[in-house]
Amino acid sequence: MNLALLSMLLPLATALLLLALRSRSALLVILSSALALGAGSGALFQVVDGGSETLLLGGWDSPLAIRFHLTPVTGMLLAFTALIHFLVAIYAARSRHSQTRHSDYWPLSCLLHGSLAALWLSRDLFNWYVTLELLGLISVALVALAGPKAYRAALRYLLLSLMASLCYLLGVALLYGQYGVLDVGLLAEVTQADHTTSAALMLMTLGLMLKAALWPLHLWLPPAHAGAPTAVSALLSALVVKGPLFILWLLWSQAAPAEIGQQAGFLMAVAGVLALLSGGWSAMRTPYIKTLVAYSTVAQLGYALMALGLLLFWQIPELHVALWLFVLAHGLAKLSMFLAAGEMQATLGSRRLTSLKGATQTVPVAMFAFAVAGGSLIGLPPSGGFLAKWVLLQPLFLEPSHWPWAVGVLLGTLASAVYVFRVVSLAFDRAEPMGPNYRPDRFAQWLTMLPALLVWGMALVSEPLIEWLTGVTRVSA
Amino acid sequence: MNPTIAAMLPPAIVLTSLIPGLLIFALREDQYRLRTQLNMAGVFLKLALVGLMLYGVNQGLSFRFALPFLPGGELILHADAMSLQFVALSSVLWLATTIYAIGYLEGAPLRSRFFGYFSLCVSATVGLALAGNLVTFLLFYELLTLATFPLVVHRGTAGAMRAGRIYLAYTLGGGTLLLMGVALLHALTGSPEFVPGGYLAPLVDSHRAGLILAFVLLVAGLGVKAALIPMHGWLPTAMVAPAPVSALLHAVAVVKAGAFGIMRVVYDVYGVEPMQLLQLTQPLLWLAAATIMYGSIKALQQQELKKRLAYSTVSQVSYITLGVALLGPVAAVGGMVHLVHQGLMKITLFFCAGNFAETLHVHRIRQMNGLGKRMPFTMAAFTVGALGMIGVPPIAGFISKWYLGSGALEVDQGWVIVILVIAGLLNAAYFLPLVYRGWFMRAPETWPGDAKLGGGIPGRRETHWMLLWPTVFTAVLSLLAGILAGTDLSPLAWAQLIVQREFGL
Repeated sequence: MNLALLSMLLPLATALLLLALRSRSALLVILSSALALGAGSGALFQVVDGGSETLLLGGWDSPLAIRFHLTPVTGMLLAFTALIHFLVAIYAARSRHSQTRHSDYWPLSCLLHGSLAALWLSRDLFNWYVTLELLGLISVALVALAGPKAYRAALRYLLLSLMASLCYLLGVALLYGQYGVLDVGLLAEVTQADHTTSAALMLMTLGLMLKAALWPLHLWLPPAHAGAPTAVSALLSALVVKGPLFILWLLWSQAAPAEIGQQAGFLMAVAGVLALLSGGWSAMRTPYIKTLVAYSTVAQLGYALMALGLLLFWQIPELHVALWLFVLAHGLAKLSMFLAAGEMQATLGSRRLTSLKGATQTVPVAMFAFAVAGGSLIGLPPSGGFLAKWVLLQPLFLEPSHWPWAVGVLLGTLASAVYVFRVVSLAFDRAEPMGPNYRPDRFAQWLTMLPALLVWGMALVSEPLIEWLTGVTRVSA
Repeated sequence: MNPTIAAMLPPAIVLTSLIPGLLIFALREDQYRLRTQLNMAGVFLKLALVGLMLYGVNQGLSFRFALPFLPGGELILHADAMSLQFVALSSVLWLATTIYAIGYLEGAPLRSRFFGYFSLCVSATVGLALAGNLVTFLLFYELLTLATFPLVVHRGTAGAMRAGRIYLAYTLGGGTLLLMGVALLHALTGSPEFVPGGYLAPLVDSHRAGLILAFVLLVAGLGVKAALIPMHGWLPTAMVAPAPVSALLHAVAVVKAGAFGIMRVVYDVYGVEPMQLLQLTQPLLWLAAATIMYGSIKALQQQELKKRLAYSTVSQVSYITLGVALLGPVAAVGGMVHLVHQGLMKITLFFCAGNFAETLHVHRIRQMNGLGKRMPFTMAAFTVGALGMIGVPPIAGFISKWYLGSGALEVDQGWVIVILVIAGLLNAAYFLPLVYRGWFMRAPETWPGDAKLGGGIPGRRETHWMLLWPTVFTAVLSLLAGILAGTDLSPLAWAQLIVQREFGL
């Protein structure tokens, strides 16, 4: 537990330090996220060996106390968050094209890291509200770093985020009024399938779906993620949208009564399929590079939503595994894709897709990273995206009555293939002569490749990973 | 042979082209010699390893390599008689095509990229030939799609880009269907290793609908690459690719991957009896027969040489599917041996088309008059390929058709003979005029162009030697495969060995 707390407190402390110090920020952030990564991995190993641990903050007993709970999934997410922050920090510090080298990015990203870690550790509805609010505000500030042209998207993000928080808070208040507890574990024992509970759950779900940009509440995401500086886009897409998803998962799979869960699960799964289709459709049509990647996030979140929904609908525990594999695979792939997209956009000097003509010759490494990450999004074997899709497909094929859902996955796969290869086929065209500003940054390009290789590297540990996740999600669910 | 070495041999065969391929990506454009050396080292090393493995499998040794991958589905590379036939074919033709491609692309831009993907493409082909279960097969099948795309669009012209997009649309769509089919079967029973006679027989009663749906998905996915109608549309457009790529696509890698996959699915996944119980045989047979007829008729309508060859591939590859779908041992020999024979003959024809286009800028059929005088060796090779395709003895194509015909009679499907005869006549109708034009019509005053390759003197200096000798080599191989069909070394003998093992004779 101490290591987990360390992994949360290190970035928070660094953020405070940076507010005071304001020099050598990049180095400090890289150092602190590396240490947080070490602490997070340590916590993961501990929890795998020794089992889950609970910490009651402030020495109060439940139900008064704020409970921190370190489960294997939480440990994994702590390490994962730190890893992504570490990679993004190196990119933000080293790339010539990073717009965030000398800005408030550094303290803000540390705060973001800390709040996310707190979110993974919390098991308390109100504590989650606080972390959600923090995440929302920090994300808006990070988006606004891109300058006046991003203010519009940032403002819209802010307003919707506040509305979502209010929805969520209202739901929390309703539940508290009904049951008098806020802890998820305690709620699980007392909730009943009555109208107040379903109304509260609906309100909270609405808020969380809005924050996670789950279809049909996703419209704020593409302008915000596409308009943000590249490092920020990567963090937002790879990590921040997964926070509300985590709460949604625990809320429904633990606290909600199974009967309500079944009905809501069906709706969520349908929304997931529609997310795949509408996100994919928009990604196929947008003329901008980063908007394409952002819409692909909307589409890919559809898989997670579908896994969650079907999990509640059918009560099949394998789908927990699919959900978390999607989160890992999508996080890594999207990190690579956003960094590569941003790097190419900055090197070639245009936000438009058409500027990628001949990118295999002008920015070969970044383009390759984009394609490799895209392969995981499509689900080409043996990438991480493939593993997740495979685990999702297995229960869909078990009964003939489940087959229609597989059609949703099929269409989603085809849509992702279209939008990825839309870019790749342009890149294989012959390049036009480059302008005088053409200064590719080899190091940054190779850095964008690293997460893409990691997501394909998941194949090396695929079988133990799937079995481990099957074991731990069954216990925690 | 030491068991560890035997286990490492299948991955080593894949790596002998994968590693040179990856190294080549890192080379500069002007490192011509190093690139050629890497390529040739890979080719010969692979040939040596394949030779070793052929010997071992003939002796009854087993070569198996496995890695954990998915619960219930390992990554398995193993060598059985069926996979080795395909591996041997692709390794030998890789040799010819690599030399041809080096000559063909001399001085062209982006050669490192080209040869890198070229090697990846061969690695994927060999990998899917050696794949020991459906999951592994799927992995290499998708890799093959990805590795081939850059080759199709290599020229970077508007036509090439369009062909590339069409190719991707078809093959990625097919790949997704295949993924669905494999996942469906995996959900029912896991992905065990391929076994002669299949492993689905216990499920026929309990999961009828699932097995039928899976078969439809698998054949639809594989049929895209095997160019079964209506999934053939990408193949004729993809002929805009450079000649060595077309040769590779049509003879070794892509279409053969589809046909080989259909063989695997029918013999080693479903098995003969479940196929009959599920009534899947007849539809597949009709589909193959319809594709043969359709391809032949379309070929007859084409005025461009490469397009005519492309439609001829559509028709010829379906002979393999036909032989498989007949489900009798004799027809199976015909189908399997045609995998090799069609490869040898079609690669010869595409090499010839490439030579005509590169040397004299002859692209259309009416420009072929009198080519025999100017390029006698190439034209002779073309004649061997064309006559073989028609089925004239003693060239390889005759052997395949003979076994297909007698196989059809063996399982009482006499109507297939009618199809074979009509298709043979159509073959003659679209190939013989070319041969006639080449040898017996008067040459024009001036050719559409003359690149003066190799000296421009008819005979052994009629074109660049790297273009000429691979062509002659594969033409001789197609002749020998027919003439020596009775010996133990021929593809026919090997196909009979496969069938003995598959049908347990």
